[in-house]
Amino acid sequence: MTHALKITNLVKRFGGLVATNDLSFQIEPGQSVGLIGPNGAGKTTVFSQIMGEHRQTSGNIHLFGQEISALSTPARIRHGVSRTYQVPRPFGELNVLENIRVGFMPDSIWQMITRGPNRDKEVELALSVGFSENDLLRTPDELSMGDLRKLEMARTMATAPRVMLLDEVFAGLTVGEIAQIASLIQQMRRDGMTFLMVSHDLKALEPLVDTAIAITYGSKIAEGPFSDVMADPDVRSSYLGAA
Amino acid sequence: MGLRWYNFALWAAFIGGMFLLPEFVSKGTLRTIIFANFLAIFAISWDVLSGRTGYISFGHPFLIGIGAYTTAILSKRFDLPLEYSIPIAVIVTMIAGFIVFLPALRLKGSYFALVTLAFMELMYQLVQVFRPDLTGGTRGISGIQTLTRGAANGYYMSLSLMLAVALSMWLLMRTRVGTALSAIGMNEESVSGSGLNTTKLKLFAFLTSAFVAGLGGAFYVHYLGSIAPRALFDINFLFTIIVAALIGGSSTIVGPMIGAFFLTFLLEYLRPYLPGAERYFIYGGIALLLYMYQPKGMYEIFMQGWAKLRSGRAA
Repeated sequence: MTHALKITNLVKRFGGLVATNDLSFQIEPGQSVGLIGPNGAGKTTVFSQIMGEHRQTSGNIHLFGQEISALSTPARIRHGVSRTYQVPRPFGELNVLENIRVGFMPDSIWQMITRGPNRDKEVELALSVGFSENDLLRTPDELSMGDLRKLEMARTMATAPRVMLLDEVFAGLTVGEIAQIASLIQQMRRDGMTFLMVSHDLKALEPLVDTAIAITYGSKIAEGPFSDVMADPDVRSSYLGAA
Repeated sequence: MGLRWYNFALWAAFIGGMFLLPEFVSKGTLRTIIFANFLAIFAISWDVLSGRTGYISFGHPFLIGIGAYTTAILSKRFDLPLEYSIPIAVIVTMIAGFIVFLPALRLKGSYFALVTLAFMELMYQLVQVFRPDLTGGTRGISGIQTLTRGAANGYYMSLSLMLAVALSMWLLMRTRVGTALSAIGMNEESVSGSGLNTTKLKLFAFLTSAFVAGLGGAFYVHYLGSIAPRALFDINFLFTIIVAALIGGSSTIVGPMIGAFFLTFLLEYLRPYLPGAERYFIYGGIALLLYMYQPKGMYEIFMQGWAKLRSGRAA
């Protein structure tokens, strides 16, 4: 069976700092995996390499069997992998629907000009992530943090990914907003989406993942069912500073 | 933005009024409006690139100059008919636009702006030393074939060209490509993170902008009948283009048009009182005040006024 995402011997050095140290793991289609570790463990750097925002020093990244290391970020997205960011990055002067519209756009200037936007699809997606009809014409400066995360999810989903990388999707959210995003993720899991998630909110993360991978200083220290990983002495000492 | 019947009615009345104008105003005023029409074209060209994508071009006189010089040299020195020299000039300007685009692959913000400023200066020096028998050196070229005779005909020509450019750019920017270009100006990484090749989009913006600049430059030189490098590659000309786009309201097509007319008439009416460069001091001050009041420009002020008027009527 082809893995949805397969990382092999990934190394990333920034000068003398080894941010990713010989990291290998794979995710099966439809699986949801949590990537955990203390601050500065290198979780976001792994995301950046999968997306091609940083090129790895060595190692391979396969998406559904295809090596994607040579591809640009937009090309990787068209191959079916998309990410969200710790700090949402909306288009400040575009409204909710227009923000989502950018995610739906084909990478062809000719098609952008000759074909209009599919407003029904934009509205459907906006409503499906939990926006109300009243929100659709709001600009990001009128939205709460929870809404900005939903907007980021929606724009990412509009690119039709098969694998989604979620970076700290619960940061800065109220309890109610966390529940809303969590139920959205659960719904997408039932629909067969493959996830790799980073979160410091381990309680919120646990029900959303099948397995977890713990890393520290760029190296993998544990992998397996979430509770087993959390019980691992190395993981505990990396989080708490002592066993 | 939905269009209603009164939008069309207002535009039809405005355009109709503009075409009747030569019956009512003096030739001097017509010549001022002709310059405003060309300035509007240049400001729209600048806005399509810089107002949208945020890549601030200080090199627009370079592009306009390429268009103007190409058709001037081809028609005057090589006797090429204007129906060939003008399209060739536009194509050559687009090639120049591609050259200006290259630094945008690596540079952003003020660094990019400075490099484009260098293009303008480079062009100014080049026309003086490179084949002065063709470019006319510092004195420029005069006796270039003109497209029209008389102020009224020049007015109709410049007005038609300006309206055609404005309408086509407005239609183009209403499509998703306009949204994508604006999105680049707001957050380029997020555009690329939405699966779009930003290099391709930026190249499109540069070529479109160069197309309009080349077209405007070529027609302008065949209206004037002469070309003077000192006036063309001039920092005041550059800032007039940029300020017109900005105080009118960037990322709109109407804004640069409003700005161009406002600035042209402001400079013209100040001329009897301040004949020298002091006039630019006044317009700098006005631009500054306007920015502090409404950074989105005069277009936004008009739209807010209109909205107030409508809500007042509805209440």
